[in-house]
Amino acid sequence: MTGEPPGGPPPHPVGPHPVGPPPTAPPPGPPAVAGHPASGPLAAYPPGPLEPWPATVRWQSVSTDLIWVELLRLAALVGVVLLGLAVGWAVSGHWLFGAALGAVVLAGAWRVVTTVRAVHVWGYAERENDLLVRHGLLVRRLSIVPYSRMQFVDVSAGPLERAFDLATVQLHTAAAASDARVPGLRPAEAARLRDRLTALGEDRAEGL
Amino acid sequence: MTHPGPELPRPATDAPPAPQDDHAPPAPHDGPPSDAPPAPHDHAVGGVEPRRRLHPLSPALHGAKSLVVVVAGLSWSTLSRVGFGWFAAMATVLALGATVLAVVSWYNTGYHVVGRELRVYEGLLWRRTRAIPLERLQAVEVVRPLLAQLTGLAELRLEVVGGGKTEAPLAYLGVAEAAALRQRLLALAGPAPHPGTAPPQPSASAGPTVAPVPPGRALHAVANRDLLVSQLLTPQAFLLPFGVAFVVAQFLSEGSWSFIAVASTITAMAGVLLQPIRRVLDDWNFRLARDEGTLRVRNGLLETRAQTVPLNRVQTVGVTWPLLWRAKGWLRLRLEVAGYSGGEADDRNRPDRLLPVGDQETGERIVAEVLPGVRLSGLATGLPPARARWLRPLGWRAVGAGLDERVFAARSGLITRQLTVVPYARIQSVRVTQGPAQRRLRLATVHADTAGGAGAAALDRDLDEAWWLAAELTARAHAAHRAR
Repeated sequence: MTGEPPGGPPPHPVGPHPVGPPPTAPPPGPPAVAGHPASGPLAAYPPGPLEPWPATVRWQSVSTDLIWVELLRLAALVGVVLLGLAVGWAVSGHWLFGAALGAVVLAGAWRVVTTVRAVHVWGYAERENDLLVRHGLLVRRLSIVPYSRMQFVDVSAGPLERAFDLATVQLHTAAAASDARVPGLRPAEAARLRDRLTALGEDRAEGL
Repeated sequence: MTHPGPELPRPATDAPPAPQDDHAPPAPHDGPPSDAPPAPHDHAVGGVEPRRRLHPLSPALHGAKSLVVVVAGLSWSTLSRVGFGWFAAMATVLALGATVLAVVSWYNTGYHVVGRELRVYEGLLWRRTRAIPLERLQAVEVVRPLLAQLTGLAELRLEVVGGGKTEAPLAYLGVAEAAALRQRLLALAGPAPHPGTAPPQPSASAGPTVAPVPPGRALHAVANRDLLVSQLLTPQAFLLPFGVAFVVAQFLSEGSWSFIAVASTITAMAGVLLQPIRRVLDDWNFRLARDEGTLRVRNGLLETRAQTVPLNRVQTVGVTWPLLWRAKGWLRLRLEVAGYSGGEADDRNRPDRLLPVGDQETGERIVAEVLPGVRLSGLATGLPPARARWLRPLGWRAVGAGLDERVFAARSGLITRQLTVVPYARIQSVRVTQGPAQRRLRLATVHADTAGGAGAAALDRDLDEAWWLAAELTARAHAAHRAR
């Protein structure tokens, strides 16, 4: 591969590039990519959560108050389920309800732990041309959404989020599969992000 | 009245010179609605053009259509319970009711083009006005169901970005009118209007007399025999004899041959065979042509469709090699246009046909036409690392991904092999996902999302490679995007 950063195990070629002429066409061949900030420290990438290009990306984490929002949501859900099971147990007296009750409590406790960790994992980074969002513990996800592809930005805040003074920013592209949602932002930060995204989007917009 | 100048739709909108022309058409509008093809082909030049109605026969067609639905809804068991007379009466009453509703809705439906927008008005109680910005138009389709063919009508369907489903099916228009309107909408939808250049629809009023699709440069015609054979080589058609044998055996052993049972069985069989039969009917006489920057597809036996897809709106091209077709070396090509979410249940209406069946060489030619500079056989895809075998023991060699000069290609599927080709310029976002099992194996999946369809995914790549791939895809998408 021509475009590899010097020094480091070669990131595998994903497929031989056509032998054709080097980048005469608009999309750059590999050499153009070498200058991309992303390809430099690639080799130094530490094995960890989805955290690519550590030297070039400054991840911002979301507010830890999001933990409370998530926990309250979880508590509401678990509470309803527990109530139903408890009533069922009281009425029928079948031991299965008791077992289910215990299972739900255990699952809830496990969710509490993962929620706390998941909120710490959630992060976003604004790069020159795109927004990175990563989240997820069990299934880790990283989204790279170029500003130029942005269709619109949503800022939303439910009652629970508002109680903790938080807001969610979501970036929409024309692709339904795009997944760029950043919850747990302070309203000021959410507004800043929204304004910045719209400004950048307008700058670069080309739509489809 | 024969104005040579319906062109220049935009600049002329508020030109004062033609107020007389402007006021002439609205008058007939109140009386006999401006319906039939002959007169209203030249649109009013100045001012806002009058609202036009759909063809007056459309309620009758809708009524006939609802009759079919009603009969199907009442089903065989009702027929057996109430007897034929009552059944016919019920069906007639329901269909008549539907027809009356259709007449009311026809009376209140109208459309016209304002600037670069198509406005459609509907509804009596709940009025609805849809303004469809034509610069967002992705594809236009003229559909002619059987009944419409008999009556010389056609339905015009527009696909717009962001619409969950087909917007504004104008059902029905006269064939000539539909063709003219399509011409006009496509002209308006084209890249920003250049008032100086020759208007692209000078013959808008001449075209209607001929077939709805001007020929363009013919690319390919699918032989009907190949189509039939290809649909016989589907699992449904293959397994049908066994199903029939089973049912017959059942009947013979029980010895009950009631009309209902037989009719229901036949209905069920038809249900199983529906897809292959539909494909045959839909793709009959498949013709592909290219006209300037647009792709024209014509197909259909009972219901003819003429689709027009601007080539710059093609988001992805999918190639499929079904198992049973491999002996023949056949493949199928699909294309995705923005504006279709997977939500539309009826996938017949997706303008995604590019080639229902064809050999490798044909596929190659068509792909090169749709995505210039892409050679189907030249798309190299690399395998995932061998440890991906733990995740897909059989199929790990069937998946792969490769970066070509202009496109990202991803392969998948062991039994039905698939290849998805996404031009870099169409990538909307890039995602990397890693499930728990993948994390153990240091693998990750890279998705390239597009505006239509599911995009392409490089499954189970080595983690470092996945990062590299994501970065590369982002960079290439950015560069390709800017270069346009």
